[in-house]
Amino acid sequence: MISEIPEEYLFDLESEQRVLSSMLHSEDACIEAYNILIASDFYSPRNAIIFELSCSLFLREVRPTLVEVLKEGHNLGLFNNPRDVEELKYITEHFIDDENIKYWIGKVKDKSRLRKFVDFLKASHEVLIEQQGADVEQILMSAEEKLTNLTALEIDDRVDGPADMANLGYDEVERRFLRYKNINEVNKGLIPLDGLSTGFDNLNHITLGYKPGDLIILGAQTGHGKTAFALHTSKAIAVDSKKNVLYLNTEMSREQIALRWGSILSGIEHERIRAGSINETELSIILNAYSRLRDSGFYSYPCPNLTPEKTISIARKFKAQKNIELMIIDYVGRMDKFDPRIPEWQMLEQIVKTQKMLAQNLKIAVMCLVQLNADGTMQGARRMKNECDLMLKLTPIPREDFELSEEIKKYLNPNYYLIIEKNRDGRSGVSIPIVFDLQKQTMKDAERISQ
Amino acid sequence: MTFNKKKLYAESASMIADMGLRDKLSKEEMDFLLSLLDVVLVKQEQPQLIQTLRNWMNTNESSEIDEIIKATFLAVDFTDKESMEQCLQLVTELLENRGE
Repeated sequence: MISEIPEEYLFDLESEQRVLSSMLHSEDACIEAYNILIASDFYSPRNAIIFELSCSLFLREVRPTLVEVLKEGHNLGLFNNPRDVEELKYITEHFIDDENIKYWIGKVKDKSRLRKFVDFLKASHEVLIEQQGADVEQILMSAEEKLTNLTALEIDDRVDGPADMANLGYDEVERRFLRYKNINEVNKGLIPLDGLSTGFDNLNHITLGYKPGDLIILGAQTGHGKTAFALHTSKAIAVDSKKNVLYLNTEMSREQIALRWGSILSGIEHERIRAGSINETELSIILNAYSRLRDSGFYSYPCPNLTPEKTISIARKFKAQKNIELMIIDYVGRMDKFDPRIPEWQMLEQIVKTQKMLAQNLKIAVMCLVQLNADGTMQGARRMKNECDLMLKLTPIPREDFELSEEIKKYLNPNYYLIIEKNRDGRSGVSIPIVFDLQKQTMKDAERISQ
Repeated sequence: MTFNKKKLYAESASMIADMGLRDKLSKEEMDFLLSLLDVVLVKQEQPQLIQTLRNWMNTNESSEIDEIIKATFLAVDFTDKESMEQCLQLVTELLENRGE
């Protein structure tokens, strides 16, 4: 009966060709296909090879045009026959518009799932014929498991059984036990981070760093250090730890971002650098500072028309090509709306949800900068708080705290609080005094005055 | 890229690759022509390279110097800006010397 299923029902060569053609013409299509499809989703072995060649070029940051695929295929000895070239040419002529790529990818994926379903039916049929005396319950359970895997859309869904949960729990405790031992024996009390350095010792101590899958929200009022915080974080991760960071800026130009780095890394006032009012010694200090940036893992992407959908595509590309560990969005209030009719709070909620999903899917940390209202509150704060793993606020220390707070007097020249409003993995409600040098655009933990 | 340009691109690329597979072009010649096609139609870069190639084609006499120019072009790495600049400078000098 299964063999009666018409063969042509199980594949759709036109969809495969349209997806491949689109990959050869558009980078966005490449990102989309690379993230959703695998070579075995293609029915035609030739199409699977072209898909793999295109992906391999894309990962090496070579745009997989027809020419590049031809050269690569020829170099690898995969295209030896003029017919191969003719077929590839035929494929490239299946042009589609970029906006239709998801539709064609969906068709390729559906046929692939259908073939897997037919394989499942065939295998079940064989089991029935060959194991006629077998336990029915066991046969059905095994079939159900396989069928469930097929319908799970290959999303990373998993259910942990009791044994999985026990193993996971023990592994986690053992990891922490060994780390604690390490702290005492090797690191002499210094806590190693679980994730990326935050750039502040006190924040590192409380959060153990920004971890893969984390969504971090940092709120500050206009002119109160959102970009400085983003670049301070980038410095800690990309310059000091040499890990890759993608920085998306919605309002500053390339030149403005580059100039800020000059100040942050050289310690020379930003205004003077901007005006060019520096001497030759300082110029050479700045040159040295930029050489640190050159060797870093900082990738900047100024994009005034950023949309939540675009962040997904950009993040996927940089994860595949540069293996970024953190993406910073500076800032979400400037992002274009999905739909101009929806209110601001709803848009922020959608953006934040998208970013949380992105962080989890790509296993990177995502930091969103948001604007605080004049009274220090945050629009849509409650909803954002629900979604994020770490919510921070950067705010000037109120005058009365300098007069009344005994605690603040224990620090040397603090001027800002970094407030931990939410911390999924640890303490929250903590205000960390820091020193924010507006002139030099630098930040650091405020030092405690020794007793 | 317009539909016609896409069509032209696909036709040209497959023709060059086909000639390469049929040994009517060497591997170096095929790679150069394919890269040139990408530069002209997809990336739309290197106007100086196109101009230099035109200058050469107008005066090509298949002389010894033309063979040197051809070898210089075939050795260029399209992904290396410095290699491209050196190639263009060398070819320009060779063309000027021949004109003298």
